[in-house]
Amino acid sequence: MIRLDNITKYYPSRLGKQYIFKDLSFDIPSDHNIGILGANGAGKSTLFRLLAGSEYANQGRILTDLSLSWPVALATGIHPQMTGRENTRFIAKVNGIADIDEYERRVIKFAELGKQFDLPVKSYSSGMRPRLAFACSIGIDFDVYLIDEVTSVGDAKFRRKAKAALLERSEKANVIMVSHEMDEIRQFCDSAIVLHKGELTFYNDLEQGIAQYQAL
Amino acid sequence: MTTLLKRNKWEIWRDVIFALFVREIRTGFNDKLGLGWAIISPIVFIFVLSFARSRIGGAETHSLPTFTFMAIGILFIQSFLLTMSGSAGAIRKNKALFAFRQVQPISAVLAGALFELLTKVFVIVGIIIMMYFMGMELHISDPLLLLACFFLLWMLAVSLGLLFGIAELFVIEVGKVRQLVERPMFFISGTFFSLQDIPREYWHFLDWNPVLHAIELTRFAVRATYGSEGVSMGYLSGIVLVFSFFSLAVYHIAWKQGVSR
Repeated sequence: MIRLDNITKYYPSRLGKQYIFKDLSFDIPSDHNIGILGANGAGKSTLFRLLAGSEYANQGRILTDLSLSWPVALATGIHPQMTGRENTRFIAKVNGIADIDEYERRVIKFAELGKQFDLPVKSYSSGMRPRLAFACSIGIDFDVYLIDEVTSVGDAKFRRKAKAALLERSEKANVIMVSHEMDEIRQFCDSAIVLHKGELTFYNDLEQGIAQYQAL
Repeated sequence: MTTLLKRNKWEIWRDVIFALFVREIRTGFNDKLGLGWAIISPIVFIFVLSFARSRIGGAETHSLPTFTFMAIGILFIQSFLLTMSGSAGAIRKNKALFAFRQVQPISAVLAGALFELLTKVFVIVGIIIMMYFMGMELHISDPLLLLACFFLLWMLAVSLGLLFGIAELFVIEVGKVRQLVERPMFFISGTFFSLQDIPREYWHFLDWNPVLHAIELTRFAVRATYGSEGVSMGYLSGIVLVFSFFSLAVYHIAWKQGVSR
């Protein structure tokens, strides 16, 4: 379980504080693959970044004993001038992986970048970068993977592979993902959290959540 | 299966700073000249200026060879400015990496500062080798004082860089102010002159500047006859202590909100 305890989060702007969450308390249940549904600007990515510890709330805290991935977005933490291999090793070092070489082999196998793995990431196609980013995170055994519209960029084959990898891990690991494509959410998730006007609602049944979201 | 190491806070810090440091070396200079340029360009700069000045201004300045006099001045002011801007810039440059919760701004600052320190050590070695081949005297009367001055100056630059870096997270324009402040530092820190060249009644315009203290004390450390009138180790270390405390205190209260904007 991930407990949000009295979270208040705002961004300062010229028009004053833009509140995303105000005194929000919520428990995100474990053992569910959760799709986060919400309109543009509802705060999905902010929620993600708060969960991952990339950002901090203005008040309140987030309590969990699970290990959460970083928010795997299109190219988080990937430096365009470093090669795929260097990026992989950087991520491994930062996350404290014991056997970096083994991890590197896993990423190579999953990302299927071939020789490009030793070229700077800036020469990659737009489908290859998220493949590397996703491979880097799935190569580490987290309890929860936070995935921000990464899988939507890949081709069908990569999606199948991502799905298989997550399923394989699904006994121990879960995914929380953001996407605007309902098909994709249906593919990976079994329940939903609808994010609307700073309030979170959990739906055990994914279809019910999607229906609610589309009715908004 | 990948196993994650159970690391304590210090080990995470060590790993992250190391990873950022390597990344900095790898990406800081990405053209064909690569890292070498960070070392060659200051050596050439220092060499040309010092050599020109020693031709024009005579062989000795206050009992110190003019070349050494100038080399110390330029080397120190350059180390100070580059370390300060490197540390300050490290926060904004690595902002995307704070997505990893292990990476904190201060790790980026320390990695950037260590990188600058490393290149400067190579620059110093390069200058010493040149002086050796030019047949200059390499005697240092107080090596410990020299090391202490260099280290204190580095600490000061890192503290100020951290302070500016944090401020720049909140107000971007602070970066422009920093660049504005940096420029006159080159001319008021005793790079081209000694405090002894200035009439005593005007000292108070200059002697508030800790960088001037560091440079003059280093010249004194190289040749004791140079004298250390008007500058003091106590003042320099006091300033460094105050600024490192202050910048760490500001960092401690502000970094979480800084990266969350």
